Amino acid sequence: MDGELDEAIRKLAWLNFDCSRNELGSCVARLTELKILLTKFPSLPPTFQMTPNAVEELKFARVVYEFAVILSMEMKDQEAFERDLVQLKGFYMDTRGMIPPSPDEYPILGLNLMRLLAGNRIAEFHTELELLPLGALHHPCIKYAVELEQAFMEGTYRLINDRKAVPHESYRYFMDLLAETIRDEIADCSGQAYDHLPVNDAMEMLMFSSDQQLLEYISERQHEWEVQNCSVLFHMAKSQPRVGVHSFKLIKQSLCYAQELEQVV
Amino acid sequence: MAAVATVSSASGILAMLQEPAEELKLHALASLNSVVHLFYPEISTSIPTIESLYEDEEFDQRQLAALVVSKVFYYLGELNDSLSYALGAGPLFDVSEDSDYAHALLAKALDEYASFKTRASKATEEEENVDPRLETIVERMLEKCILDGKYQQAMGMAVECRRLDKLEEAIVQCDNIHGALSYCINLSHQYVSHREYRCEVLRCLVKIYQTLPHPDYLSICQCLMFLGEPETVANILDTLLSGSKDDALLAYQIAFDLVENENQAFLLNVKNRLDARTPAQSNPDSGSALPGDQTANLGTTSTEPAGDVQMGDDTTTANGNAHPVDPNETVHADRLSKIKGILSGEKSIQLTLQFLYTHNRSDLLILKTIKQAVEMRNSVCHSATICSNAIMHAGTTVDTFLRENLEWLSRATNWAKFSATAGLGVIHRGHLQQGRALMAPYLPQSGAVGGGSPYSEGGALYALGLIHANHGEGIKQFLRESLRNTSAEVIQHGACLGLGLASLGTADEEVYEDIKNVLYTDSAVAGEAAGIGMGLLMVGTASEKASEMLAYAHDTQHEKIIRGLALGIALTVYGREEEADTLIEQMTRDQDPILRYGGMYALALAYRGTANNKAIHQLLHFAVSDVSDDVRRTAVMALGFVLYNEPEQTPRIVSLLSESYNPHVRYGAALAVGISCAGTGLSDAISLLEPLTSDVVDFVRQGALIAMAMVMIQTNESFDSRVGTFRRQLEKIILDKHEDTMSKMGAILASGILDAGGRNVTIKLLSRNKHDKLTAVIGLAVFSQFWYWYPLLYFISLAFSPTAIIGLNSDLELPKFEFVSHAKPSLFEYPKPTTTQTTTSAVKLPTAILSTYAKAKSRAKKDAESKANLEKTTEAESKANQEKATDAESKTSGEKTPEDVSGSTSAKAAKSQEDGDAMQVDSTAEKKAPEPEPTFQILANPARVLPAQEKFIKFIEDSRYVPVRPAPSGFILLRDTQPTEPEELVLTDAPATVVSSTGNAAAAAGQPAAMAVDDEPQPPQPFEYNTL
Repeated sequence: MDGELDEAIRKLAWLNFDCSRNELGSCVARLTELKILLTKFPSLPPTFQMTPNAVEELKFARVVYEFAVILSMEMKDQEAFERDLVQLKGFYMDTRGMIPPSPDEYPILGLNLMRLLAGNRIAEFHTELELLPLGALHHPCIKYAVELEQAFMEGTYRLINDRKAVPHESYRYFMDLLAETIRDEIADCSGQAYDHLPVNDAMEMLMFSSDQQLLEYISERQHEWEVQNCSVLFHMAKSQPRVGVHSFKLIKQSLCYAQELEQVV
Repeated sequence: MAAVATVSSASGILAMLQEPAEELKLHALASLNSVVHLFYPEISTSIPTIESLYEDEEFDQRQLAALVVSKVFYYLGELNDSLSYALGAGPLFDVSEDSDYAHALLAKALDEYASFKTRASKATEEEENVDPRLETIVERMLEKCILDGKYQQAMGMAVECRRLDKLEEAIVQCDNIHGALSYCINLSHQYVSHREYRCEVLRCLVKIYQTLPHPDYLSICQCLMFLGEPETVANILDTLLSGSKDDALLAYQIAFDLVENENQAFLLNVKNRLDARTPAQSNPDSGSALPGDQTANLGTTSTEPAGDVQMGDDTTTANGNAHPVDPNETVHADRLSKIKGILSGEKSIQLTLQFLYTHNRSDLLILKTIKQAVEMRNSVCHSATICSNAIMHAGTTVDTFLRENLEWLSRATNWAKFSATAGLGVIHRGHLQQGRALMAPYLPQSGAVGGGSPYSEGGALYALGLIHANHGEGIKQFLRESLRNTSAEVIQHGACLGLGLASLGTADEEVYEDIKNVLYTDSAVAGEAAGIGMGLLMVGTASEKASEMLAYAHDTQHEKIIRGLALGIALTVYGREEEADTLIEQMTRDQDPILRYGGMYALALAYRGTANNKAIHQLLHFAVSDVSDDVRRTAVMALGFVLYNEPEQTPRIVSLLSESYNPHVRYGAALAVGISCAGTGLSDAISLLEPLTSDVVDFVRQGALIAMAMVMIQTNESFDSRVGTFRRQLEKIILDKHEDTMSKMGAILASGILDAGGRNVTIKLLSRNKHDKLTAVIGLAVFSQFWYWYPLLYFISLAFSPTAIIGLNSDLELPKFEFVSHAKPSLFEYPKPTTTQTTTSAVKLPTAILSTYAKAKSRAKKDAESKANLEKTTEAESKANQEKATDAESKTSGEKTPEDVSGSTSAKAAKSQEDGDAMQVDSTAEKKAPEPEPTFQILANPARVLPAQEKFIKFIEDSRYVPVRPAPSGFILLRDTQPTEPEELVLTDAPATVVSSTGNAAAAAGQPAAMAVDDEPQPPQPFEYNTL
């Protein structure tokens, strides 16, 4: 058992080495090897056997998965990120009494929050938040994500973009993603609110620095928009009929029901 | 290391499943498998992922994936999906695992497999094959059970799954093969609802039986009887008869047991085959009932079977002495003739008759009360009283009451006369030899036209049928002639019924034609009886004739004929279960309510005593939905027939119906309980019937009273106090001037049934081996028809079976033999005789007698005059007996030998009192009144033993005679352990050995004198036949 742990530690060292040289491909391969090695540790979830060096093993496994999370983020592989993070969370949640908390715990959980926010998965975001202990909310990484979410909900998008004080380097990636998400939100709203907008206004609203970027965005993401005479036409608005017609019918129906109910009674 | 960590979520493991690396997936699956019981809600969302793993051909742990999915489905309650994945899991699904999951799935798998097998057996071709994986699981399960020694489980499963090969394996490997086999027989009767398959199971069991070194022939023959294989039974009997003396005893026992099931056609078959086997033998057997010999035999005392036995004595004893040397022809022939006597039912009938006659305890005072209370002009009550008398004395041949009240009797006119005459048949039931002579004065005289009233002539023919019910070989010819020679419909009516009864279930083609001719005259009265007669003749044959009858039922205009035919058709499908379904369907869908009513009977009889769910369901459906009251009433009543093998169920099932607003349904419910719980004294049944006996509708009261009497028959007050209440209630109803005729009639009949057969019979629809008693069931079915036709009331006598233990030696005689009943005598004693109001001051006397009454029974009957001379010997003997019993049981309950001695004297006192000489011994009897009741009782052969008492019966271990089979009931063959010693026989006189041909003058009243029993122990005196 000790031998296996030692081997694993050696592998982690290699992994670190590879990583520092930015050889991501070999990193992934080594990481997989490591994970397979971890399956042989009986002290790991879900069995949690109380072997003599359970603490060491648990700590080590946690480090491996933390590493895996960071790595997958660097690879920009969101699926892998989620996978690793879920497994890592098992360590955070279930071993709280057994091994000292990891220094990286909150940054990584914060990272997860950022990911959910950037993916506009607000419900899951709040679920995760609820699962955190109260004290965690004061941790800068978590607090940052929470504030971002508040701003996002209020619609004070400027505020989000203005904030440069990222608590951790790794957050940048998700900040970019978040910006994209915000842009999509704004685009959706303007499509509902206006029939058309001048290009300049649209550009400013969607936080682009040039016409070119706007046109690119339109061709990539918003196929129903058209640019004519220096203004953006939101076709979407036209194609969708007003919903008011239905409501009238509904009201009528409800009244009818009410009347008949009264007769019955 | 602070706290022990526990997993809080399976999400981590599920995430691992998504990993690209195979090893990680594997690890994740294995982990999931171990936590699935905790996290199935989480895992259920990922089922598609795991399923895709299972479907991935290249994934090398597909089975594990299947197992995980199966478990998740199990926890979600989707057993079907769970099972199909468990099958995918192959060997990973562990049948021996002790978890809810494994248990539930195994049960499911077995169910699935069993239902599949059942379906497959019904389908004509083998188009769908059972999933081999399912089969493997079931087989693994069976093997495991066998290995673990859970043979009963294995057998049950094998039977359920229709795997007779496995059943055989389980039985053969079992350490107690006999136990296993009898368990299986029970199983097949109780739980195998499909008749054909049950036959298969039994055939398989018989096969196993035959391979055993010491086959249990008793059980084999029971099975064979159910299978209807007389050839094999005949073979077995023949082999046994050629064997040692013990083997012959066994053969006799088998024959008696077969007779108990009352399957006449089968018995005749066996008998004929035995005949055929020995063509060289001149045939000396039972020709006693040949029509010719009556006149010759009338005066003589020894009837022919008795003669047979007499002859048998010599030869068999010879054999006993020179046994190993010479098992010669004559011995065999003699045994053969004996066994044929048994198979023809004559021996058992003769012994029964003897028993009922000698032990008759009917209470004439009750009848007298009834007679006085009933208004002269009320013919319904009048004939009910006659009927009640007939039932009370059924099979006892005691017709004192009738003889004493000839003038009163003559008030019966027309059909009442018919019934009254038929009642004689009930009283003399089983009196095969003398039956015709007894009825002679009433029978139609050939040649002399208009000699007697057609009513009494018809009744007499019916009576002959009752006397010879199910054993009518001898009388059949005469009845046929009478039927042909008459054109009076009343006589035809009686003859049809009589013929049907006498040739019950024989499916005799010629008789059928005769009855059919009567039917085609289209006379309502004769036609009704013809319909029933045809049914009786064809009982249980499921013959084509049913459709013929159905067609005629559609043709005719007479309701009576339709009703008779409907019942007749129902009788033909008796016991055929599924085979009858088409016919039942046809009848229950008919427009005519009478045929639907017949359909109810068909359901009842086809599924008699099976508690078949489908049948119950159908009956309940009709009970609440049919438009005709008759059909509804019958449907509810039919439940009683279907459920009589599980009497405890019936009160529960009909309890709601018994509160129906519809009186017909209530009536049906009462009779249903009466029929299925007959003779059980079941407390639930009594509680259900009690309120119905005071219903607002008169006919419901009638039904409830009759049903109550059927339930309480032979139960006495110390067993259930409500019996006493009921008796008083009956008396009150009978005496009440303002009571309705209907309920009065019910009460009169109920008093008759309550004390039926001289208080020595009960209503039993199942034989000791849990086979149904054909005659009894048929009897009750036709009896229940009395709603429309009172003379059918007498059919209830068919359902009576004597509650006796009769021990027989190898010569089929009754040796002196005693056994112990470990129960308080008062629990099972006869009810107290009623006293007239005028003698209330003298009540002390009867109570004194009663406390020792049981003792009186336990002692052989004593002649009052010889008492003084023999007192000492008797005392000695009783002491010896008592000690023997206490030794055997090491029960130190009594330092009461002295008491006992006096008990025995007072017993004699009681006896002599019974004979009318009470004065001498009054003081003795009175003095001993406060004697504490013993906890056991010694009974002497032949003894009255109630069904409920049977479990208390113990044979005395070191007794001279050892029973061939251990179960204490009915006829028991006894093996003599000291064959060289002289045997003492219990001497009993056959009843009515002297019959006056005029039928009126004879000495029935004087008959108690004939009950003298030779009781003296006289060991030193050598017997004649012993020296031979």
